Amino acid sequence: MSNPEEFEEEIRAVKEAVPDAEESAIAGEFTRYRDEFLVPPKHALRSVIEHFQKEAGMEVNAPKSTSSRPAAKSVERFTDLSSDDKNVTIEVEVVTYVPRMTMVRGEEKQTAFGWIEDNPWEEGGIRTRWDFKDWGNHAESLGPGSVVRLEGVSVNEWNGKRSLNINQTSRVAVLRGSERKVVAAPSEPTSIERVLGMDGFATVVARVISTRPMTVNKKDGSGTLDMVKGRLADDTGTIGFACFGEFEHPVGTLLKIEGAAIRRFRNTPELNIGDRTKVEIYHDSGFATLDDLEASSVMQIGQLRDGSSDVGITVQLTSWGSRSFTGQDGAEKTVWGGDAVDPTGTCRLTAWTELPIDEGSLPLALKLSNVRVRSWQGTPDLTVDRSEQAEVLDAIPWEAIDASKHSVEVDFTELLSGGSRSGVTSTATVISVAPGSGIIHRCPECKKAMRDGACREHGPQEGVEDLRLRIILDDGVSNGALILGRDSAEAFLGQTMAEVREATQVDGGDAFLAELRSRMLGQKHTFTGRAIIDAQGALLMADLFVLGESDLAESANEVRERWGVFA
Amino acid sequence: MMSGQQRSRRQTAIRLFAREFYESSLPDGGQGEYDPRFIVTKLGARVNRMFVCGVVERLERRDTERGPMFSGAVRDPTGLHLWSVGSFRPELHIEMEELVARFEGGDRFLMACIGKSNHYTTEDGGFRCRMQMEGYSIINRDVYASWLIETADQTMRRIDALGKAQSAETTDANALRDAGVPKDLIEGLGLALNHYGEWDSEGYKVGVLQALSAAEGRVVSFEEHEAESPSENDGENKGEPEVEASEESTESPAPSTDGLEIESVVLEIVAQHAGDEGIDYDSIMKHCAQRGLTDEDLIEDTLYALRDDKCEIMEPRFGWFKTL
Repeated sequence: MSNPEEFEEEIRAVKEAVPDAEESAIAGEFTRYRDEFLVPPKHALRSVIEHFQKEAGMEVNAPKSTSSRPAAKSVERFTDLSSDDKNVTIEVEVVTYVPRMTMVRGEEKQTAFGWIEDNPWEEGGIRTRWDFKDWGNHAESLGPGSVVRLEGVSVNEWNGKRSLNINQTSRVAVLRGSERKVVAAPSEPTSIERVLGMDGFATVVARVISTRPMTVNKKDGSGTLDMVKGRLADDTGTIGFACFGEFEHPVGTLLKIEGAAIRRFRNTPELNIGDRTKVEIYHDSGFATLDDLEASSVMQIGQLRDGSSDVGITVQLTSWGSRSFTGQDGAEKTVWGGDAVDPTGTCRLTAWTELPIDEGSLPLALKLSNVRVRSWQGTPDLTVDRSEQAEVLDAIPWEAIDASKHSVEVDFTELLSGGSRSGVTSTATVISVAPGSGIIHRCPECKKAMRDGACREHGPQEGVEDLRLRIILDDGVSNGALILGRDSAEAFLGQTMAEVREATQVDGGDAFLAELRSRMLGQKHTFTGRAIIDAQGALLMADLFVLGESDLAESANEVRERWGVFA
Repeated sequence: MMSGQQRSRRQTAIRLFAREFYESSLPDGGQGEYDPRFIVTKLGARVNRMFVCGVVERLERRDTERGPMFSGAVRDPTGLHLWSVGSFRPELHIEMEELVARFEGGDRFLMACIGKSNHYTTEDGGFRCRMQMEGYSIINRDVYASWLIETADQTMRRIDALGKAQSAETTDANALRDAGVPKDLIEGLGLALNHYGEWDSEGYKVGVLQALSAAEGRVVSFEEHEAESPSENDGENKGEPEVEASEESTESPAPSTDGLEIESVVLEIVAQHAGDEGIDYDSIMKHCAQRGLTDEDLIEDTLYALRDDKCEIMEPRFGWFKTL
């Protein structure tokens, strides 16, 4: 509904510019801006005026295109400058910087003046000293003694004396700070939580929560090597360690480990204790006890990382079976496996030894300790090597989960900054629909998508037709590629593969992609499936993909509550 | 910190309001040929890819030596997002031609725009930001409202992180991390704190409030918002004349046709009365008053526009103007 009184002032302004415009039509236009585009009348004014000017056949005062501007002038010495140079780039050393408050046009403004010298890098070279004025409050960057690159400064000539004006729009890049940055002493201990995100060397104070002596074969076949693996914990987290050599500290010992190298196996950091690492017993009666640490170091499926070892976890086993195969040495071997869930996700379980599990009693709860984790295409796999690592519990510690429908809602950034997971649901905005979405042909030998009728490995082939969509999801902090296979793509598009083929045959798929983009770009979507996370980024495989649903009023309110912003 | 690997990854699309973007003046990265380039905002967002929305306010086609290009602007509650579609993106040109035709036919619509940040430098060393479009779609009001809410959320997250960063002992990464700055903002806030110095983020909060109100269906302008919440008033607008000059006055000149008239009067006064040193600010005001122009803010905006955007006048000394 348009209400002319509401826009009285704005209508008057439009009438001034376009006297013939009708008031009700003007009000209608302002209403449209307000209701359809959420633009208040004050901000819509210019657009509305233009609209009516155009309608009345008047010339529109469109802003003129940018005129050519002189390019930046980059010089090394003050003597290269002339009195009317603007947009100058030069590197200088700041000699003095004197801030002062000045009244400018009735307002108090902080400006500053001082000396700068050119030719800052040459040891003992000849320097020229100029005055400068800082109109742009660059105090932080212009500390005396620092060498900076000034960009976009202008020359000022006053009574025959030249100086530089550092303007509000100028940029000051600090090339050499006036004080050296303090480097943290390497012997300073770091929390394990932080070590997990670091590379290089670290010093920690932590308690030993498990140890396992082992013997490994040297790669060059020259013999075996004794080592100890295990896990360390503090109240921020746990980390695995490997010690090449003697490690005689029993479980429960509090240690200070200085200068251990952080190595990554698959996606999991581990502390390597080597010849140059200093290990000593540490005394701190306030440090978390072994019991506390053990209790808090028990993991959930959502936290599993490919390559982890010494993991303690309780899962609900939902299926169990075995298969036999012939090993490399010709002996018949059996491996057991099944699916596991907990309230944070789903995973696989593999056992190289028989466990006391009766298929008829599924689902059941299994407590695992010191197991290792391998991931296969985004699904973590808990590996049990010895029967004492698994214990069947009397009861499932949560309400039994229906594994076939189990998916856990996870915040997008949380999902992407963790490890590979399956059985998850998350929401983010579609930022791009990648080329190559639509009908593709797969190599019959390796199943990889072919290009121009040829497989990269197997050469030209008669490809097998398939449907696939590749979409980039992004929540403003993280992003990842989402793949929709044929089934989930058909369900999302509401089209069969044959229909998509028909739609893409006309122009090679351009119109299909354009239509898809206009339907999806900028809109939130929700997927259910698994996430394969590695150093290259995230690959999301969707079983289900739908337009996101949200209650605008509720989410606006959530934002207000979260940050305490109320009008 | 694995930065080598992260650099080669796809850049996340930063959600930000127009004002935060156009007030930025700090480029970062891009040393090597394949290194991504960023613009670091005052709130520490390192913007390479960005996702913005708003109602289309400008859209035009230009022919260049390398072929046609398109430029446009969409308005959000805090100002205009300028964008362009380069001649090197021919895949978008056909659709752009259609959009220009719609726009010139008087149609207006909400757009979601995804692109890469870009900047250029004006004659007087001014730093201007814009976006190179990678993709867009025409959206409805609900999708726009959803973007407003998400962008309000992300902006507040950055304002919050800035507060934490300001309380840190130094601006190095470890100190910022210990102060609770989220991982993705540590690098940008470190750079921003060193470059922008002291400033007040209240103005950005006003934009957030305005966006949330709009998303909730209460559409009010910036000025009205200020009137509603006097406590948010401090230092707003006044402290940042540069913004007025660089953005609002070029993109949306004075509301009525008076704008051009004032401009020619001011230009005439400067041309007539400026000696070798120029003419000082107060004298310009006096001359304007004699001609019946008394709106000081408007005249000041006009001066800035003439200086920064039209390049008709210069300010050799602070407060003194002369024609070029």
